Amino acid sequence: MAAERRYLPLQSARYLERTMKKYYLLTRYQKLWGRPLGRPLAWITSGAPVEILRAFGVDVVYPENYGALCGARRVAPELCKVAEAAGYSPDLCSYARSSLGAVLRPDLAPMGGLPSPDLLVVCNNICGTVLKWYEALAAHFQVPLFILDTPFVAEELDDAAVEYVLEQVRSLIAGLERLTGRRLRSAELSRRFELSNEAVRLWGEIRSLCHHRPSPLNVPDLFVHMAPIVVLRGTPAAVAYYRRLYDEVRERVRQGQAAVAGERYRLLWDNIAIWYRIYNFYKEFSARGACFVTDTYTGGWAAELAPGDPLESLARTYTGIFLNRGVDFRVRQMVDLIRDYQVDGFVMHSNRSCKPYSLIQEEIRRRVVNKTGVPGLIIEADMADSRVYAEEPVRNRVQAFLENLGG
Amino acid sequence: MTSSIEQAGPVQLLLKVGASGGSGWSRLYPEGPPFGYFCSYWPEELVLSLGWEPYRMLPASANATPGRLPAFCCSLARACLAAAEAGEYRELAGVGFGHTCDTIQSLAGIWPHERTFLLVPPVALQAPGALAYHTAQLASLWRRLAGQAGKEPDPAALRRAIRLTNRIRALAGRLDEMRPRLPSPLVSAILRAGQIMPREAYAAALEAALPELAGAAASPQGRRRLLISGPALENDGLYELLEELGARVVADDTCTGHRHFTGLVAEDEEPLAAIAGRYASIPACPCRFKHLDDRPDHLAALARDREADGVILVVRKYCDPHAWDAVSVAKRLRGEGLPVLVLEMQTATPGEQERTRVQAFLECL
Repeated sequence: MAAERRYLPLQSARYLERTMKKYYLLTRYQKLWGRPLGRPLAWITSGAPVEILRAFGVDVVYPENYGALCGARRVAPELCKVAEAAGYSPDLCSYARSSLGAVLRPDLAPMGGLPSPDLLVVCNNICGTVLKWYEALAAHFQVPLFILDTPFVAEELDDAAVEYVLEQVRSLIAGLERLTGRRLRSAELSRRFELSNEAVRLWGEIRSLCHHRPSPLNVPDLFVHMAPIVVLRGTPAAVAYYRRLYDEVRERVRQGQAAVAGERYRLLWDNIAIWYRIYNFYKEFSARGACFVTDTYTGGWAAELAPGDPLESLARTYTGIFLNRGVDFRVRQMVDLIRDYQVDGFVMHSNRSCKPYSLIQEEIRRRVVNKTGVPGLIIEADMADSRVYAEEPVRNRVQAFLENLGG
Repeated sequence: MTSSIEQAGPVQLLLKVGASGGSGWSRLYPEGPPFGYFCSYWPEELVLSLGWEPYRMLPASANATPGRLPAFCCSLARACLAAAEAGEYRELAGVGFGHTCDTIQSLAGIWPHERTFLLVPPVALQAPGALAYHTAQLASLWRRLAGQAGKEPDPAALRRAIRLTNRIRALAGRLDEMRPRLPSPLVSAILRAGQIMPREAYAAALEAALPELAGAAASPQGRRRLLISGPALENDGLYELLEELGARVVADDTCTGHRHFTGLVAEDEEPLAAIAGRYASIPACPCRFKHLDDRPDHLAALARDREADGVILVVRKYCDPHAWDAVSVAKRLRGEGLPVLVLEMQTATPGEQERTRVQAFLECL
């Protein structure tokens, strides 16, 4: 007899598929339609202020999103091997290795790889790796590299750091004006800010709906449906997508529908997904009635740009994102999520590819357990490179954790 | 200092201190605990101006597995954290972290002691506003350190500290010029001593040692001339191996080597801006950015200038910045006809595997 289905898929998944297909199709042929319109194509990091580029009519693709896609399609190991053969250490970020592998061997890459960029924009608010990764890309493609250096915020964001980032934002704008031959129109920048904020607000509200018992979403939903907030932020398409998703999730709440049937335990997830096990991994949990009602990662795209001077707001918001913050901030974030979402336990993915996220997790785990009394489990894996994933040890740890939760 | 060190001549003194590496700091500082720090981007001048001695944190033992760091983290961070958790650094006047890589950022966040300070210099050293930002961060750090020391920041004391560190840098530069004619482990040990012993004493000892060293310097006759570049090396193991295998390090771009001492702080400018200015002007480490070709250009020029026969790029296991740069730097140097070995090491101490690789590389030169 087939096992009882405990996981409720979203209808919006089909809309998501269409949205992302359209995005990647337009991106793939961007050179054909974009060039006549004078629209350069940028490769950009997930934490960079894309609103500025959109205001200039620059189209964007996200190698990190593409790395996640390579992970989910389980082609990352082959692409990583290509990068490793070119000299890149297997200990480096698997998104970066996948991306470089796809550049070197597009024939092995999904969709034949990403279309080559006219410029690169990197913001180091998520890690130090992205700068090295984009240096490698700039050397390969021989295109301009724009860097936004957002100093790490150990405690509070200070005015000198904001002023420094602001100066670089102005310099980025000047650089884009030279590159595109167009002046920045403040009305268009405001429109992009509003679109970005609207999508971010909706994404935040969707996440907030998971306060309900039972939760209408499980974390794989959040991971899968975060794609538009990353790659389409600042566009009408992102707003339209999240309006639709919000309506569906709100309807679930109204009807009392659970993402995980018979929700018994409410969990918190920390770190990026294990993309090549995006459903199978979480099935271990949902099969026992455990639902990940919130997470730390997808919330990174739920911070709205504050009102006031738009460029200063942008400098503050992008410098202050959670991955650019110290341990105390991260502990507070988790403690707040545990309290707000009535969480029974948390699972941290010690992700070999993401050192700033992972190296402080054990310290955070100890402090969060101390402050909340809620148990926390760390499992070691990688976000895209399945070669380092050890199925059985992870399963054993997960089972023991769930048995403990059950008291 | 121990009596045996006190009685030693200047060269012996420097070698003994250098060989002590990361162990036994209390013996070096009988008059009071020094101020520990990680990374050359930590400004020693500020520490000196407040009456402390700067002491570079280097692990005594690299085989450590502290529970609070995962295995995929460099041995330097793991070993230092393990030593800190064991109480080895508890008495230090403070510990300063110059923000460099993701690992140092994380280590600073979980460092177990109070009196921990983090300085976040700009990564893009030549970005608009970088110098002003760096200067402001130095000013803020100086105030915080002064608060810890119970003193007022004193510009005159800072200028004296700048003069002292400049003097040391100039002396280290003279030693570095002699490097091709001196045994490699000797030079690395003396430069390391300059990061872990009281600075006035170091300057005096190095100044006194230079004539003796110049007298002992001899042509490297028949030895393979190497440039090595890499992270912090807490002991002379690699240098000893290279010397044993018939090579000579004629140029050194490691974090604890000459790169630490390169460049001078302008003494006639506002001190904090001048300190920031030095960092902006010296060859960048892989954690910083000036322009795409900055490091390859610098290393290619260094190799040419010192007539290197080959280059060893040392990558400490799990050190992302050096691992990234090894690809582009190796490509560039090979393009200029220089043989390059990318040597991954778990710690600064080479094992048989590293010996075999180095041996094979030297045979190919």
